[in-house]
Amino acid sequence: MMMKLLRKFFDARRKHFEDGKKFEKIRPLFEAIETFFFIPGNVTQNHPHVRDSLDLKRLMSTVILALIPPLFFGIYNSGYQSNLASGLSLNFMAVFVNGLWIVIPVIMVSYGVGFFWEVLFASIRKHNISEGFLVTGLLFPLTLPPTIPLWQVAVGISFGVIFGKEIFGGTGKNFLNPALTGRAFLFFAYPGNMTGERVWTVISGMKSPAADAFSGATPLAVSAVSGAFNIVKSSLAKAGFTFPKLFFGAYPGSIGGTSALMCLIGAFILIATGIASYRIMFGGVLGVLAAAYPGYIFNQFYGNSSVPMLSLHPMYHLVMGGFAFGIIYMATDPVSAPGMNISKWIYGFSIGALTVLIRVFNPAFPEGIMLAILFMNLFSPLLDHYEIKAILRKRVPNV
Amino acid sequence: MENLISIFLNSVFLGNILLAYFLGMCSFLAISRNLDTAIGLGLAVTFVLSITTPANWLIYYYLLAPGALEWAGLPGIDLGFLKFIIFIAVIAAIVQALEMIIDRYSPPLYTALGVFLPLIAVNCAILGTSLFMVERNYNFIESVVFGASSGMGWMLAIVTMAGIRKKLRYANVPAGLEGFGISMIIAGLMAMAFMLFSGITL
Repeated sequence: MMMKLLRKFFDARRKHFEDGKKFEKIRPLFEAIETFFFIPGNVTQNHPHVRDSLDLKRLMSTVILALIPPLFFGIYNSGYQSNLASGLSLNFMAVFVNGLWIVIPVIMVSYGVGFFWEVLFASIRKHNISEGFLVTGLLFPLTLPPTIPLWQVAVGISFGVIFGKEIFGGTGKNFLNPALTGRAFLFFAYPGNMTGERVWTVISGMKSPAADAFSGATPLAVSAVSGAFNIVKSSLAKAGFTFPKLFFGAYPGSIGGTSALMCLIGAFILIATGIASYRIMFGGVLGVLAAAYPGYIFNQFYGNSSVPMLSLHPMYHLVMGGFAFGIIYMATDPVSAPGMNISKWIYGFSIGALTVLIRVFNPAFPEGIMLAILFMNLFSPLLDHYEIKAILRKRVPNV
Repeated sequence: MENLISIFLNSVFLGNILLAYFLGMCSFLAISRNLDTAIGLGLAVTFVLSITTPANWLIYYYLLAPGALEWAGLPGIDLGFLKFIIFIAVIAAIVQALEMIIDRYSPPLYTALGVFLPLIAVNCAILGTSLFMVERNYNFIESVVFGASSGMGWMLAIVTMAGIRKKLRYANVPAGLEGFGISMIIAGLMAMAFMLFSGITL
């Protein structure tokens, strides 16, 4: 009944959007809203044809579904950290409402501004509005610190959508992950709002005694500065960051990236539905362990206090900071990741290994996952190219 | 030894001659359309850099630097102001000589490198590497490593670029940006991703 009414509604309005009519320019917007309710009846014009119920829309909706656990936990955690630091009530509702006040404006700006560019490009360049933006527009705010000024959210998503994607012709034609392109741009353009101890927690209201004693450092920052040999674990524990806490994610950090547990739920959805590549995710975990274990074992015998991160148990690298979020949601972006199987393993492995190398050896950046993914995005076309070439070489003698 | 490894990593990743200093852009943009030619040019640049950088080192420290002519009994002479023109001449001469030698002894390699060898004579990455070598006071062994690894860094950048442009063959770039415009944007985005290594001190 409801659907019939909607169908009628769209059919009656379609004529205004045809070529030469009043709203011809914004036809992509009409089609985007229509296909939000109804599966389009178009089929591929030329072969090859693949009969499959999976299309771009369903793929992207599944990713959105998988993003819901980190999103809700991110809302709760932003509120919790803020109330904790400002000495307010820690009751669940109060915390959640505060979290909504912090997170929802960021997401609204990201969606609003990004959608504006998307519609503008779609109308002028006459391509469809892609559901891919629904994912980019949600991934981007989840990687930001909760205190980010809203105008910077607008600048970041604009850069990400335009230079990360639209300038190449839209979804599927870009070579870098658009959400991370936007974040990297903000990171280098406004480092004061993207890193440091003060950006990870919103402090509201009067300055209370609790706020004075508050440090705000992320676990990665704590471990990078913890002086002498072999005390990283104890200085993490002193700051309240035990392994279970890091795993569940109730610590200051980017909005959606703190909880490894929530990201694992998302990973389960993505792998079970076959949307994201398990090869990339497991490759990433292997990469982290392979890069972190040798240094850790070496450090147990010959302590070197100049690089305190080396004494941290490798498992901590998996749950701290944005690694889980990055490898599960960002690295598996089907457009910017390689398409061949062995390439996916190499790609994931390199991301994990580079992340650890940056965390341990690069004093400029406490977290390495963002640039590690962007860096490997550059190499994914090459990895694909050489894997295809190797397969061809193996097959040619059999032809 | 540690010093040489750090020079190697520094010039391949951290201070990539192309993506950190933006030298050698012209051939980078022009030749990166095809992966195979990009690899050919990359090899040629690496080859030429590993010869010209040490050659220029010898010439600078035995002829041009202040007091370098002591062996000829002229300790008071400083020909440092000539280094630009001499370096360019040395590079052009070595490229020409190489071309003739390769043509004589290995015609297949000569045809493979084709037009790229003479093109290299005017590649600013080559001159830039020689000038950096002087500025950073490298010794002879260091200059050999620096030249070769700068070439590898340049090759890494151009091959990656060629891979990306291969992927972007189906991209629908706005009319005004096709060709050089989009290539410059890609190079900028690549440089942003290469910032991964900035801040590491070796």
